[in-house]
Amino acid sequence: MKMPLVAKASACVFGFFLFLKLGLPLFTSPLPYSVLAMYMILVLISTLLYVSIFEDDYSNFYLPIVKFLRGDEGDNAVRKMSRIAVFVMIPLFMGFRTYKSVQPNFEPPFPQRVIHPAPPGSAAGFVNPYGGDEANHEKYVQEGRKVYYENCVFCHGDKLDGKGFFANALNVKPANFADPTTISMLQESFVFWRVKTGGIGLPEEATPWDSAMPRWELILSEEERWKAVMFLYDYTGWKPRTWELDAE
Amino acid sequence: MLNSLLNKSWLKALPLLFLAVVLLFGWTPLVAADEEHDDAAPTAETAEENALPTDDLAAGKMIYEKLCISCHGIEGDGDGPAAVRFQPKPRSFKKAKYKYRTTPKGKLPTDEDLFRAITLGLPGTGMPDWADVLSEKKIRQVIKYIKSFSDEWEKQESSPHVVTVGTVVPTSPESVERGKKQFTALGCQLCHGTEGRGDGPTASALKNHRGDPVYPRNLNKNWLFRGGGKAEDIYVRVNTGLSGTPMPEFSGALDNEKSWDLANYVRSLSPEKTPERGSLIKARSIEETIPVDPDDPIWQEGEPTWFPMMGQISFEKRLFTPSVTDITVKSVFNEKEIGFLLIWDDRSKSKTSKPGAKKISFTDQVAIQFPEKLQPGGVKKPYFIMGDEKLGVNLWNWTSEDNRFFETNAYGVWNNSEVEQSGSDISGKGYYKNGQYRLVIKRSFQTSDSEKDIQFEKGIFYPVAFFAMDGTNGEKGSQRSITPWYFVFMEPEEDKSVYYYPPIVIALVFGLEFILVKILKKNHKKENV
Repeated sequence: MKMPLVAKASACVFGFFLFLKLGLPLFTSPLPYSVLAMYMILVLISTLLYVSIFEDDYSNFYLPIVKFLRGDEGDNAVRKMSRIAVFVMIPLFMGFRTYKSVQPNFEPPFPQRVIHPAPPGSAAGFVNPYGGDEANHEKYVQEGRKVYYENCVFCHGDKLDGKGFFANALNVKPANFADPTTISMLQESFVFWRVKTGGIGLPEEATPWDSAMPRWELILSEEERWKAVMFLYDYTGWKPRTWELDAE
Repeated sequence: MLNSLLNKSWLKALPLLFLAVVLLFGWTPLVAADEEHDDAAPTAETAEENALPTDDLAAGKMIYEKLCISCHGIEGDGDGPAAVRFQPKPRSFKKAKYKYRTTPKGKLPTDEDLFRAITLGLPGTGMPDWADVLSEKKIRQVIKYIKSFSDEWEKQESSPHVVTVGTVVPTSPESVERGKKQFTALGCQLCHGTEGRGDGPTASALKNHRGDPVYPRNLNKNWLFRGGGKAEDIYVRVNTGLSGTPMPEFSGALDNEKSWDLANYVRSLSPEKTPERGSLIKARSIEETIPVDPDDPIWQEGEPTWFPMMGQISFEKRLFTPSVTDITVKSVFNEKEIGFLLIWDDRSKSKTSKPGAKKISFTDQVAIQFPEKLQPGGVKKPYFIMGDEKLGVNLWNWTSEDNRFFETNAYGVWNNSEVEQSGSDISGKGYYKNGQYRLVIKRSFQTSDSEKDIQFEKGIFYPVAFFAMDGTNGEKGSQRSITPWYFVFMEPEEDKSVYYYPPIVIALVFGLEFILVKILKKNHKKENV
């Protein structure tokens, strides 16, 4: 038996919706609502275009709907009931949506927080003084370990996963260095800048008033800060992002 | 006939299209904030997976020297770099005194005990749960290596007695009541306090085997029990004690049923579920004057909001071992005033020590922090620890020793900028009982000094943060427990128009449907003519 065009069209729209909503998140991060809405409008318009492009198709598509809405004398009880149900459900649903949208919705001001803001120009000049010294690398890393475990471990954690025992008290969660999207995506100079000036040194789009990252230049020497950065990369096994890699 | 239908059909399809869009996406505008998604990612596994030695001891050494030395030290004597600031100190595997065991006090733990501690970690300490990083095999290899630090292991008797949890006595009011009697009969309250908040009369004098002060556990916060917060964990603990600490083993005094009763009682002191970190304090509207008595029935009502606290470690002097771990807050408001009830646990009511005293202590203190002024848009705030040079904060303080309420303004920690206001607009009442402070602070919405004092209105989100200081723990000035910014909100009276719109919309849509069907029927009749 041939599938009615209406069923085909709705299956197509619904199938796309399911794919975008449930299928896609299996491979990548879930779509934001606005993007999902945009895709679905495109799907809907193309479907309607498809069914209305030929006259035959169009009447095949349109007539069953018209018949359903109009109601025919020969309709059986099921058809009648579902017709009434549709006519009652739509206004109720619209009323509900209206209630939801006019209902006072108190949401705290929500800043669009930039996680990796552009560092100030001065940050580009930070160069690791121990960078080329391969012979003493291990020594510096061990000194960095000491700095980390005397200062950073409380928030960033023993596993460098941002789950130190103070972490739950914080609103902006401490960075998880083990995560492939943190220090491995950043240049050493950027990481150093973040350590040096801390949360309070962030530009306004990164909500400096909320970040608990201390301004370590007040507490640690420049040498200690570089060694701590070296320890982060050594422990996690990540390599800092470099200009050479970018150029490739 | 069909042609006429088709000519008009585009028009007719429009309401359908419209309905379809609405049904799919609802009425909300097609813009919404991006949902945040978890950035949970597996911890980087060591690359040398394949190159691991086949010998268990050598493999354990390799893992140990990568993951464990920072706290426990390369020689296993618990003096890694973290030992400097951790309290309690990391375990020394050389001394081999283990707190969390199933074996009698003073005896070595079983391999399973060590396995448990490594897998689950010790909550509230620097020891994390390693299960997501290390496989069971690797943990067993590390255990083998850890044991090689001490020859105590070779000296021990072949199979130590192990406490096993007997037939479960499920928790019940009767069991809890019997457990409470056990608690008193065994003298638990001498250290842990009458209500179990670690505030017993002997609590402040306790030392461990190293001579460091140790604090009896606050039994009201089972999520911080190092050896686990379930009743069966407590069962094992009371039977085995904690080696190297004054916590005795009560196995001689407890049979299976008594152990369960005591465990059920201790478990009942903590909430059933670990509280969740709040983000917004929703103040409750009341008609009456805000009562300053923390025990007033008005303060019994309403949902509390819970905020974990951390030590202030951004500016010298820093606090790495805070005593106050969390604070519970309620808020109410009437037409003129807003009030807060703050509840937090503190091991002792502190007094300022006399000059030259051996142990220095200060008064206990708490503060509620607001911005001096709200910034346009409400997003920008002063720096969360005591503000900054550009944006100041307004603090409502209370000190327990002299029961004093006073307001201050601050513009940064680093420049000692906190200034006390000459007059105070806040009032309230607080008291200390059984290891817990309960305090009410209130103020009128508006004050005469709108430059230095935050001014309140209903329907606006106000940033708010909390500070607490335990004077006996040496906390004063920048050494304090802190929270980040949260919000407090007073909901305005409901606007009745909310209930007018939905019926209007329902009527309109129904009308449209009616017209649509009418048109369809009319066309149909025409076609049939």
